[in-house]
Amino acid sequence: MATDTMTSRAAPEDLGHRSPRLARRMFMDRLLRWLLPLSFLLVLLPLFDLLYYVGVRALPTFTVATVTTNPVGFGGGLLAPIVGTLVLISVATGFAALVGIAAGMYTAEFAPRPIARTARLAGNLLAGIPAIVVGYFGYFLFVLATGNFSTLAGAITLGIFMVPYVYRVCDLALARVPHEQREAALAMGARRGQYLLRIALPIAFPSILTGIFLAMAIGLGETAPLVLTAGWSNTPVTNLLGPTSYLTGIVYQNYQFPTTLGNLVTLAFQAALLLVVIVLALNIVVQFIAERYRKRLRGLF
Amino acid sequence: MDQPVLRGEGSVGAAGHADPVAAPTPASIAPARRTPWWAWALSPIALLPLIFIVLIALVLLFSGDLKLLFEPGFWSFNFYFNPLAPSQAVWAFPLYLVGTALTAGIALALATALSLALAISTTVYLPAWLGRSLGTLTNLLAGIPSVVYGIWGYVVLAPYFGLTLQPALRSYLGWIPFFGGPLSETASGTGVLLASLILTIMVVPLTTAIIRDSLVSVPHPLLEASFALGATRWETTRRVRLRVARSGVRGAVFLGFGRAIGESVAVAMVIGGQTQIPPSIYSGTSTVSAFLLYQQDSAFIYPALLHALVEFAVVLLLITLVFNYLAQRASGERGAVGPTSAAGI
Repeated sequence: MATDTMTSRAAPEDLGHRSPRLARRMFMDRLLRWLLPLSFLLVLLPLFDLLYYVGVRALPTFTVATVTTNPVGFGGGLLAPIVGTLVLISVATGFAALVGIAAGMYTAEFAPRPIARTARLAGNLLAGIPAIVVGYFGYFLFVLATGNFSTLAGAITLGIFMVPYVYRVCDLALARVPHEQREAALAMGARRGQYLLRIALPIAFPSILTGIFLAMAIGLGETAPLVLTAGWSNTPVTNLLGPTSYLTGIVYQNYQFPTTLGNLVTLAFQAALLLVVIVLALNIVVQFIAERYRKRLRGLF
Repeated sequence: MDQPVLRGEGSVGAAGHADPVAAPTPASIAPARRTPWWAWALSPIALLPLIFIVLIALVLLFSGDLKLLFEPGFWSFNFYFNPLAPSQAVWAFPLYLVGTALTAGIALALATALSLALAISTTVYLPAWLGRSLGTLTNLLAGIPSVVYGIWGYVVLAPYFGLTLQPALRSYLGWIPFFGGPLSETASGTGVLLASLILTIMVVPLTTAIIRDSLVSVPHPLLEASFALGATRWETTRRVRLRVARSGVRGAVFLGFGRAIGESVAVAMVIGGQTQIPPSIYSGTSTVSAFLLYQQDSAFIYPALLHALVEFAVVLLLITLVFNYLAQRASGERGAVGPTSAAGI
């Protein structure tokens, strides 16, 4: 393409007649218009291929027994990992929500500007720390300190990994509350704390919920922090200080076995299917709330 | 076209303002308020994320043996570890660094190209409703757990790569360096190629979301000016939109690179795990993150191995922090490239 197309002008009498160069430029534009969207095929093909094969491998033998029996030897079901994952994710979400919302509220409302700026940067950086590094951190801080692998160690390690998602969303949501709301509240004589709890928090609540769901989706899919902290147990967890199994662990432990050996690989795919279904459902909820909330905010202006 | 004007607007556009003539941001019209002393005193609450980062760094620094980082063996290329003679171990960190740089580099090159195509089609060419629904589908890709990508790669893709795709690539493209090599290297299917492609798919939603955001936030008057001069959509995209959104693209690449370096599970499952500099793109190798993951049970038994792994983790932490910081710097102060980017919030 010529480099000076920006300066070229078509004289009025040329409008009906296309110069070869104009034709070339317009052809380029049309070509890319059809070519670039094809890139979606490159992304959607793997997505559907993955969903299809996980379904094909998992569904034919997926029965009630799959979710009501524990893993044993080369077979069994997913009861213990399901319970373990639920316990882990509940504790981790509680921890992440507590820390993330406290830090987010303080950053958005009270923190002096330089502190807020540092905190936001730190939040983004924390999200970039590899899961496996957080796992080693949890191993040294919790497992070596207490002397054994435990559900609690796994959950807190996972929780630290999830904090930035809640934190950043909470901070953003509070910052996006329309400024008129603050002005109105302050004009009525409210203090900052009252404004935050009675006005800003209810408005930002759907968004914060989105952040918590997002963090749950992230936490559910993580393997590396748990491998180093949660240990393993083939029976459902009854004690937070004891080890537990979890769905991602089943996938990671079983994937390499020959498919003829018991139902190890099938079990791995069934765990994968459960994970995908739960995580995708959470993600769809996130997208849905985000979309609705965006509209609601726009309506306020 | 007047270049300096564009450059000047670039920083504004990338900072996340959708409209240059929008109302002033609340921060700028809010009266300067005095910060009470307690707001400073309680600021550790806001700094909890920073406290976690420092805690992670300190725990890792003090759990291992920092001296190891300065031993020549740590930086050699000849891995040697005999559990019976741990003192003679040679950790060969650069070997894993090569694997990491190679897989993450290939993945990011592919992901950037793909993300640019995706982001440009949604913002410029596709109707809004179609762009939005396709964007939602791409975001779903970000939600799939890495371990699921791993098992899909190992059980479904690897046999296809080993039996069909890689031998074919080798025979047709074998004249390109690293695309040839011995046939036996292609057989297993696991290796650099598969790991890079899986990483690409995993990173694409993140980079696409950031690039799309920065393309959307380019000020409209700049685009209108370009159209008024008679430029086509593609010319406007290439010379105005992409140029203004350049810093956002850079931020996306850095962030994606940091993410790709840190991915352990999916990579460990499909990269083969051999301790070698891969002679071709079909060969198995290992990365720092993957090595950290699949040596962990041995590390619980051999303290010497654990000490070395901690130093691996320290260097990995440092590298990812640097890339994430560069991403933040590149994308401006508003922090458009946060953990929430790929979720479409």
